[in-house]
Amino acid sequence: MANRIISWIDHRFPLTSFIKHELTDYPTPRNLGYWWNFGFLAGFVLMLQVLTGLFLAMHYKPDASIAFDSIQHIMRDVNYGWLLRFMHSTGASAFFLVIYIHMARTLYYGSYRAPRELMWWTGQGLLLLLMATAFMGYLLPWGQMSFWGATVITNLFRATPFIGDQVVVWLRGDYSVGDDTLTRFFALHYLFPFLIIGAVVVHLVALHSVKSSNPSGIDLADKDNIPLHPYYTSKDFFGLGVFLIAYFIVVFYFPHSVLEPANNVPANPLITPDHIVPEWYFLPFYAILRSVPNMVGGVVAMALSVMIFAFMPFLDRSRIPGGGRYRPVYRILFFIFMLDIFVLGYVGFVPPTDETIAIGQAATIYYFGSFLLLPLISKAEDKWLFKRGLPPKILALIASEEKEKSKRRQR
Amino acid sequence: MNRLYVSLLLGLMIMLQASASEIKLENFQADTSVVAVERGVDTFMNACHGCHSLKYVHYRDLASFGIDKDRIAAWRGDSTLDSAMSSLLSDEAALLSFGRVPPDLSMMIRAREGGASYLYSYLTGYYLTPDGKTSNHFFPLTKMPDALEISTATDPVKRSAILGQAHDIVSFLSWASDPHEAERKSLGYYVIVYLIVLTVLLYNVKLQVWSRLKD
Repeated sequence: MANRIISWIDHRFPLTSFIKHELTDYPTPRNLGYWWNFGFLAGFVLMLQVLTGLFLAMHYKPDASIAFDSIQHIMRDVNYGWLLRFMHSTGASAFFLVIYIHMARTLYYGSYRAPRELMWWTGQGLLLLLMATAFMGYLLPWGQMSFWGATVITNLFRATPFIGDQVVVWLRGDYSVGDDTLTRFFALHYLFPFLIIGAVVVHLVALHSVKSSNPSGIDLADKDNIPLHPYYTSKDFFGLGVFLIAYFIVVFYFPHSVLEPANNVPANPLITPDHIVPEWYFLPFYAILRSVPNMVGGVVAMALSVMIFAFMPFLDRSRIPGGGRYRPVYRILFFIFMLDIFVLGYVGFVPPTDETIAIGQAATIYYFGSFLLLPLISKAEDKWLFKRGLPPKILALIASEEKEKSKRRQR
Repeated sequence: MNRLYVSLLLGLMIMLQASASEIKLENFQADTSVVAVERGVDTFMNACHGCHSLKYVHYRDLASFGIDKDRIAAWRGDSTLDSAMSSLLSDEAALLSFGRVPPDLSMMIRAREGGASYLYSYLTGYYLTPDGKTSNHFFPLTKMPDALEISTATDPVKRSAILGQAHDIVSFLSWASDPHEAERKSLGYYVIVYLIVLTVLLYNVKLQVWSRLKD
C-alpha cells in the first residue's frame, strides 16, 4: 500500500528522486569534523525562533502604551509564556553564536575559495538579514535599552548623503522613535524571518550544487565521499543534542544573562540610560563605530567591518588549499584576528575612557589591516611555502585539484 | 600552542569579570520559600507599599503561591483579590512630597545591575553623615528616606532585626520579579536530564552508523 502511494506521488512529483539526490545519495566528504555541524544547527535555531516567535506574537501587543505590559503578561500569566520568551531571547544569542562559529570555520579552512564564493556571499546576505531581524526584535519589549538602542542605531542613517534626515524619519515613521517605529519594527520583525528562509533555500541550492567543503580544502575523489544520510544526519543529530543541552541550561538556569537590566525599565524618552550598550553580538562592530572620531567615518567603518568578509575570495591569493590547516602564517593571522574581535567586543562593552578608545582604535586598525594586507601576506606565504617545499601530501592535493578543475573545464 | 590561546581567552574573561563590579555589594541569596516571602510581603506592606506599587503582582498571585488567605485579606483591605498591588499614593501627591514618583517595584530586582544583592545593599546602606544628614553608600542621590531606619539604629539586636526585614523584603521582591523561577528550575532539571539521555543514545546511533564505513 505504502509503495503504491509513493509510486502514485512519484508519477506526479519527484519525491523519491529528491530524497535520493539530496539525502541518501547526496555525496558528503567523509572527513568533516564537528565544526561542520554548525550549518545544520543554524537552520535548527532559525526554526526554533520562528516557532517560539509565532506563539509570542499571539500574546504580544505592538503598541507603545502596552507593549512592556504585554511582555510582563506573557512572563507571568500566559501558560509557559516565560518559557517561550526565554527560549526566544536565548535563541537570538544562540543564533549569533552558531552563525559566528559557522563563519569562523569557513574562514579558518578557507571554505570561501572557488567554487564556493556564492555560498559565502549568500551567507553574508543572511548575516545582514539576521542582524536586521535581531535589531528590530530588540525594540519590541519597549524597555529603556530597546528604545535608546533603536534611537542610536536609526540615528546612524543620518550619515546617508544628501537625504540623511529624511531617511531617519522614514525609518522611524516619526521624528523620534515612538509608537510608529514600534509597530513597523514588529511588522518587519515578523516578515524578515521569511526572507531569511528564502535566502537559506538559495544558500542550500548553491551548497547542493558545489557540495560541502572539507578540511583538506579540495574536492575529494568519489571514493572519499559518503551519503549525507545516514552518516551526517546521525552526526548532526548528536551535535544537536549537545547544543540543546547547552541551550536549555541557559534557558532554565541563566535566562537573565542575555537580558540587559536596563531593559526591565519601561522606555522613557526623557531619561537616557547611563551607557547604551548593544547586545553582545554587535559589540565588536559597535567598538569600531566608536573608534572613528567622525560620525560618518564611524558608520562607514562599521558597515565595512561587516561587509569586508565578502571580499575574502579576492583577498586570499594563496594557491594552497585547506586555509589554516596547511598554512602556518594564515593560521596565526586567524587566531590573532579572533583575539582582536574579543578585544573589540570588550572595548564596545565598557564605557569609553581614553585608554579603551586607544585600544579600540588599535584593534580597529588591526581588524582592517588583517584584511587589507592579506593579498600581500598570502602571496608571500605561498611563495615561501612552495620554496621551502611542501609535504608531498599537500602537493598531491593541489595536483588533484588541478586535475578536477581541468576535468570540469572539459565538461 | 592551543594552551596559549585558551589562557589568553581566560585572561580576557577575568578582565571582563573584574571590571563588571566596581562597588562592593553584599552578596545576597534570596530565600523564596513561602514563609520568607510571606514575612517579606508583611514588611513590604508596612514599610514600602505606602509609596511603591507592584503593578504586575496581583493579590491572587500571592494566594496561588501559597500565602495564607486571611493574611492576604488583611493586606488588600477593600481591593479585590484580582486587583494589582498598587499603592494608595497618587503620582501628584508623590511629586509634591518627594519631587518624583517612586518607581514601581515589580521588576526592581531585574531592573538593576547587581539585582537582589544591589537592592539589599541599598536598603541597608543608609548611614548618618557627620552633619547629621542621612545618605546612602550605594545610591547617594536617592530621594527615598531610610524606610527601615537602619541609619539611626545603634543597638546590635535592632540592627540585626532590620537586616532580617531587608532580607525578607528583597526575597519577596525577588519572587515578585520572577514568579515562575521555582517552576523554571525544577522543569529545567527534567528537560536537561532527558536531553542528556537522548544525546548519549544519539551518540551511540552515530557510532553504530559510522562503524559501517570501511577504510
